[in-house]
Amino acid sequence: MDALAKPALLTKEEKAAAKPRLLAHPTAKTGLMSWLTTVDHKRIGFLYGFFALCFFLVGGFEALLIRTQLMVPNNNVLTAQQYNTMFTMHGTTMIFLAIMPMSAAFFNFIMPLQIGARDVAFPRLNAFSLWTFVAGAIILNIGWFLPTATHGAPDGGWFGYAPLTSRNFIPKHSIDYWVMGLQLLGVASIAASLNFIVTIINLRAPGMTMMRLPVFTWMTLVTSFLIVLSFPAITIALVELMMDRQFGTNFFEVSNGGMPILWQHLFWVFGHPEVYILILPAMGVISEILPTFSRKPLFGYPIVVFSGACIGFLGFGVWSHHMFTTGMGTVATAAFAMATMAIAVPTGVKIFNWIGTIWGGHIQLRTPMMFALGFVWMFMIGGLSGVMHSAAPADAQQQDSYFVIAHFHYVLIGGSLFALLAGIHYWFPLMFGRKVSEFWGKLSFWVIFVGFNVTFFPMHFLGLNGMPRRTFTYDSNMGWNTANFVSTMGAYVLGIGVFIYFAVMVYTYLKGERVGGDVWDGRTLEWSLPNPVPEYNYRVIPTVHARDAWWYEKHHQEEIKKEQSEHAKAEEAHGGIHMPFQSIWPLVTSLGVLIGAIGISALDSNPAPGIHIKLATTLIGGAVMFLGVYFWSLEGNEGYHIHLDENGNVVEGEHDHH
Amino acid sequence: MISTAFLAGCKLDITELWRMDGHQSTLLTAGPVAAEQKQVFMVTVWVTLVIFILVGSTLAYAMIKFRARTAEEEHAEPPPQGHGNPLVELSLIAASVGALVIIAVPTLRAIWYTYDVPVEQKDNVYEVNATGYQWWFRFEYPTEQATVKGAQKMPLVAANELVVPAGRPVRVNLRTADVIHSFWIPKLAGKVDMIPNRANFLWLKADEPGYYWGQCAEYCGDSHAVMRFRVVALPQKEFYEWLDQQTKPAREVAAQTAANDQPKAQFASWKGKTPDEFRQNEYGFSSEQLNVSPLEAWRGQQFPDKNEDPALVAQGRKLFGAKTCIACHTVRGHEGAGVTGPDLTHVGARTTIAAGLLENNPEQLRRWLHNPAAVKPGNKMAKGFIDNNIKLTAEDEIALVAYLESLK
Repeated sequence: MDALAKPALLTKEEKAAAKPRLLAHPTAKTGLMSWLTTVDHKRIGFLYGFFALCFFLVGGFEALLIRTQLMVPNNNVLTAQQYNTMFTMHGTTMIFLAIMPMSAAFFNFIMPLQIGARDVAFPRLNAFSLWTFVAGAIILNIGWFLPTATHGAPDGGWFGYAPLTSRNFIPKHSIDYWVMGLQLLGVASIAASLNFIVTIINLRAPGMTMMRLPVFTWMTLVTSFLIVLSFPAITIALVELMMDRQFGTNFFEVSNGGMPILWQHLFWVFGHPEVYILILPAMGVISEILPTFSRKPLFGYPIVVFSGACIGFLGFGVWSHHMFTTGMGTVATAAFAMATMAIAVPTGVKIFNWIGTIWGGHIQLRTPMMFALGFVWMFMIGGLSGVMHSAAPADAQQQDSYFVIAHFHYVLIGGSLFALLAGIHYWFPLMFGRKVSEFWGKLSFWVIFVGFNVTFFPMHFLGLNGMPRRTFTYDSNMGWNTANFVSTMGAYVLGIGVFIYFAVMVYTYLKGERVGGDVWDGRTLEWSLPNPVPEYNYRVIPTVHARDAWWYEKHHQEEIKKEQSEHAKAEEAHGGIHMPFQSIWPLVTSLGVLIGAIGISALDSNPAPGIHIKLATTLIGGAVMFLGVYFWSLEGNEGYHIHLDENGNVVEGEHDHH
Repeated sequence: MISTAFLAGCKLDITELWRMDGHQSTLLTAGPVAAEQKQVFMVTVWVTLVIFILVGSTLAYAMIKFRARTAEEEHAEPPPQGHGNPLVELSLIAASVGALVIIAVPTLRAIWYTYDVPVEQKDNVYEVNATGYQWWFRFEYPTEQATVKGAQKMPLVAANELVVPAGRPVRVNLRTADVIHSFWIPKLAGKVDMIPNRANFLWLKADEPGYYWGQCAEYCGDSHAVMRFRVVALPQKEFYEWLDQQTKPAREVAAQTAANDQPKAQFASWKGKTPDEFRQNEYGFSSEQLNVSPLEAWRGQQFPDKNEDPALVAQGRKLFGAKTCIACHTVRGHEGAGVTGPDLTHVGARTTIAAGLLENNPEQLRRWLHNPAAVKPGNKMAKGFIDNNIKLTAEDEIALVAYLESLK
């Protein structure tokens, strides 16, 4: 923070008034414009969460359609093509548009608070990440609203294996939307991750050493590195696929010597770290909740952190266990099998440490704790079935069967989703100053928990009984009827549970019980803040003395009070609390990206009718993007200062431009 | 839909959940490769089960023992703020590594065993080529020469039913003509993918003669779900008899009566369901025999129907040419020589059609000919009908069915 407050950055301050109207900084604090131009990490986090939950419901609806089709053998609710579209979009939506942005919501909202910062390092880049994510989500889903014969929603699987996704086999533009959509989501994720990395490295409060970082922040850091290192692999793969489809190159074109297996390697070099991108934030959330509700520090903090980082490293060395059936040969198969088993060790260590954390504690079974403990149980089952897959010969039977579906839903729903639902409950009071009713919270937990297990546990048996995945129908003589029927009933129960959960959330947001700060007797810095959290977060940047910083402050109040009043004076002498200006240009840039990407997706390799419109769209999108970037740089990284009185009220207002 | 769900609900057999003895069970193995894979799986099951019981009971104990039950307990002095115990951590890590070694050893052994035919059995191996197409399998027997006409020979080609000798290791070379498919017969061997530009293979052995269900296990487009096949393992002697029959050109049915082009009388006597009576996606098996005693059903399929009508068969053969079936299908010795569709030289002797999806009987065959797209969405035959403006009347369908069923 000191760096931002240095006078060197604030030399152009007098010129602010003389700027042309186009470059005037938006100042709206309420209303639509305030949201479109926001650079506040908390508002951006909220928007990420909002979009993620909307898409979570969309993905859930797709899942219910899938389960309805499979409820009975030889069913007819969906056609083959509709079904294939559903499972493609269910996977893509849940991974890229629900779980990842939900994690990003917490990264944005919670991480800067946990390290005692006033915002992320690059607030406007943060806004750009958000809007580019929205652009990617729009492109991915645009096919639903276009003619099915020539466009349609993507139906090549979330993994998009070449050569099925080449023009020869799927000539429709559905795949082009999928390619461009993922490409934009990659841009958004990489930009956001760089932002988080710089924030965590540079903007920690004094005394917040790396080994005092809250585990959630540590997992944010590891996840961000995973994103930055793994997304380029899929970016390359998607560029190659786009070149094949749009411009007739031959990366995956078999008749011209292309290698489809290349796609699988590039995809899974991304795809396996992606698995950890989905689960590590969840582990971080759990590592916050368990100590809080056990009233004990995390057991073996250094080992939990180290194992998280270790999972991150090893995650790059196990991608081919998704390809055990591609005929890699004995040595490669053996090597990847052993590496995959090795990754089970740091994962198991985390579970041991979570149990160690609650051991000897005072466990308060509040709703977030229920979801967190549910996570530990479900993740344990998912983790152990993962170990079964690491045995490559066993995997030859399980690969692409329902056994795998059971495994990864235990990890992704029982794991990631349970943790995120726990996190929503946990941080809801901090975000909105209201608390969810314990009765309704626990009811939703039990309905979700039961529904989830009834849905996915029978799938283990289905897989062992030979039912392959991604199949829109099955015959009634295969012995799969009962498990499928039970599973579908479970899915409806799960759907009801999720509905209760969100209905209660909306109700609580509007009319829930109001609570003060630190409602759970928290341990990390974010709980030192009042709610709602002021836009500048910390009136005085805290000084950190221990690992559970807020817990320490609560038990050393005299010392902290004295220290803070000194720091407040020092900060006022620097010119007050420095805040970044709002900006419309990140949104404009993302809009340009969106328009251009739609243009590119619609291009054909042959100049077909409409080529001029498509080219024009692409070029206009590019122009808007450059315009956005141009004005973004022109307006500069300036900000203004807020001055507070003794009681924390703003004294001079926001006109103090710098 | 609700009513069908209700009907199925009445028939639900709850034991089915854990019996896991379906046609594609990975636990009810019938050959050494699948057995080895199952054995490794069972090792992982026992190891992880023990871990789950140990860790789970510790977790459950902690949850019960340390739960604060009253308000006083919740607001009591916080417990000691301990940060962990390195000795506990290290010993747990060591224990985890130990557990993984128990899994790793059989895993490594099985990786090598399941990869290729063991050296001592190499001399005895029987080799076939399997090629995946959207959405069916072509099986080629490179060592068997089949007669086309006179002295003209070509390697024996069949489709969707792979017949192999029981008790002998079989090496299947896996190729694909279009996208990635995966070759999976759960009871005999785990899957291996068919990938363009890659010379993959697997080996399997059926311990006993039998009839095994297989299915494509890699998403390969619209009709991936209905891309199925069968493996029939025969005793050595019967296998060679089958080869003798298969390498012969297609059967000729009393050609002298072929002059009668108008077999109208047969039309009235059509027995069984007409194509329009089938629901979209309806179960394609009319009899239970293929579920109960499939190998016997397969054997029964090898003999010509005693009631076949030579006139109708001749009519169908003519239509097979006139309706351009020959452009895609081969009937060795007859007119067809196309290679984009399955070889139909002895299609009548197979138990299934449309890649294991429908029982090979007149009503199902007619259902397929009537509207291939309804049975297998997106397939090339349906597209061919549209592109070439092929229209089949009910009489055409019945004649074609008679012809194809005569190809034993």
